[in-house]
Amino acid sequence: MTLTQKDIQQLKEKMAEGYLPQWVLTDPDIFRLEQEKIFARTWHFLGHESELKEPGSYVTRWIVNDPVLLVRTQTGQIKAFLNSCSHRGVRLCTEDFGNKRAFTCPYHGWTYDLDGNLIGIVAGNKVFGQNVNKEAWGLRPIPRLASYQGMIFANLDPNAMSLEEYLGDMKWYLDIILGRSDGGMEVRGVPHRWIAKGNWKMTSENFAADPYHVQMTHRSTVEMGITPKDPLYASYGHQVVLGNGHGINVITTESGQSPNPFQGTPEAMWPMFERNLSPAQLQVFRNATVLVGGVYPNLSFISSVNGSEEYKYNHVNFRVWRPLGPDRMEIWVWFMIDRAFPESYKEKSYQAFLRTFGASGTLEQDDTENWARIVEASGGIMARDKSLSYNNVLNYLMGFGNLEPDANFPGPGVAYPTTYTDAVARSMHEFWLDLMTRE
Amino acid sequence: MNAEVHHSIAQFLYREAYLLDYRRYLEWLELLADDIVYRMPVRVTTVNEPGSTNIVNDMAYVEETKSGLTIRAQRLFTKSAWAENPAPRQRHFVSNIRVEAGPRENEYVVRSYFLFKRSRSSEPGTEELFGEREDILRQVDGQWRIARRTVYPDQAVLSVMNLSMFL
Repeated sequence: MTLTQKDIQQLKEKMAEGYLPQWVLTDPDIFRLEQEKIFARTWHFLGHESELKEPGSYVTRWIVNDPVLLVRTQTGQIKAFLNSCSHRGVRLCTEDFGNKRAFTCPYHGWTYDLDGNLIGIVAGNKVFGQNVNKEAWGLRPIPRLASYQGMIFANLDPNAMSLEEYLGDMKWYLDIILGRSDGGMEVRGVPHRWIAKGNWKMTSENFAADPYHVQMTHRSTVEMGITPKDPLYASYGHQVVLGNGHGINVITTESGQSPNPFQGTPEAMWPMFERNLSPAQLQVFRNATVLVGGVYPNLSFISSVNGSEEYKYNHVNFRVWRPLGPDRMEIWVWFMIDRAFPESYKEKSYQAFLRTFGASGTLEQDDTENWARIVEASGGIMARDKSLSYNNVLNYLMGFGNLEPDANFPGPGVAYPTTYTDAVARSMHEFWLDLMTRE
Repeated sequence: MNAEVHHSIAQFLYREAYLLDYRRYLEWLELLADDIVYRMPVRVTTVNEPGSTNIVNDMAYVEETKSGLTIRAQRLFTKSAWAENPAPRQRHFVSNIRVEAGPRENEYVVRSYFLFKRSRSSEPGTEELFGEREDILRQVDGQWRIARRTVYPDQAVLSVMNLSMFL
């Protein structure tokens, strides 16, 4: 299936007017095309280097429906293979993580080392002939693998641009979180994993482009007296369009300053931040209450602050929305913390994370309800009508034609002087269409 | 374990399930000791090895104190806790109760299996969670109090859209 010229024309026209046709959310053909045109061609987050502690460490991951075996070799290199035996295609490793010297297929016993070399064929040359060519039948590598600040990404497209080029201006913001501390960050334990209803485009948009939802989706925290009554409270700050579908919201307060400098991190760590970050990065970090964004297509992150009245703790999580269909996804959430932080602070940060995000998080619970309701109401004739005769377009008009970028913002990208705008969302959907229509 | 204690504990767990199913969370909180540690660690798939565990204690889906559980329960009574407004219908099934002597004289280690089912909105499908709970029940002035609860889910990938419930 490809998009017809008529579809493309319509999508372009509607997006140029600030709309998104609703049918692209749940159309099964669109989802099949997204797998080929988007997920097989963009950089996909697999895990963090701290999850592979020593030679032989491995984790199993997915790039949508491609199973991936991510290993640290005997020489300490990180490699990624299709987690499928080259003989009959069996999923080679079904564990989530572990440490091994070799992987043996349970079907016929073919065995591979950590570099993916086929090192054992049961009855080898007796049954396959004298000149069995083991070199030709190693594990199939994922075509591209690269890391940025400890974050491991893969790409199924051998001709893709480099990871750093793809991340572009997003690197400057990722550095504030991932590069602020000596030794970087580490994953605690394993990721949360659960299955929820939703379309990956909408959940990616929720983090990269949508602080506007905070005032209503998370109104229970206002009712509880935890967050201010001002419906604009999540709007103060900047939303930054970063290109290639990436975006971030640098949220602060009405005064432009955070009551908890550097997101409530321990003061003893601040000189370290000053060493590792530029003055402009420090300025953004010092005044931010929340940094929430997304690396296109389906990696999102948030660095937030929670705790009691007296003590506030910064907590960071990264998440992948692994689409299982147009209306379902497996959510993976990694809690991450600076290695250099005191152990007692790491523990408090973890507690603050668990109360707000992850499968039981009091904020995330209510997000899952709204993500479900989008797809539940987008599967019928009226929502899916491709001629749009039911006015079945979604509204991305916030800040459309009535908001100018702020030239004084210290970071790269196109920064708008509020986070209540659909600027990043529009750029994500335009990039989506660009990818979907590439040859 | 004597039959009277076993019976008393089973009745307590059934009453607890009733309070949860009917969203009587404030009464449920009264069943918890002030020093309760309530945890739900993450289940993973790992190779079978002697002495190895497929529970990761270093990461939990929930890890709470009584004050944290109280905040969670109070939140569910706000008007805008959308995960539970409208409230899904829920049942906690508790079975296979085993009771052993606990770390202190008035405490018992209680293990039980749980099956949690939930029906949300007009969805024909139901959500479920299942696994085992390991509790420490404490007798205080003739009343049972939950002094520790560890919930071990059996799924490595949970098939519920959120964990707004108490288990």
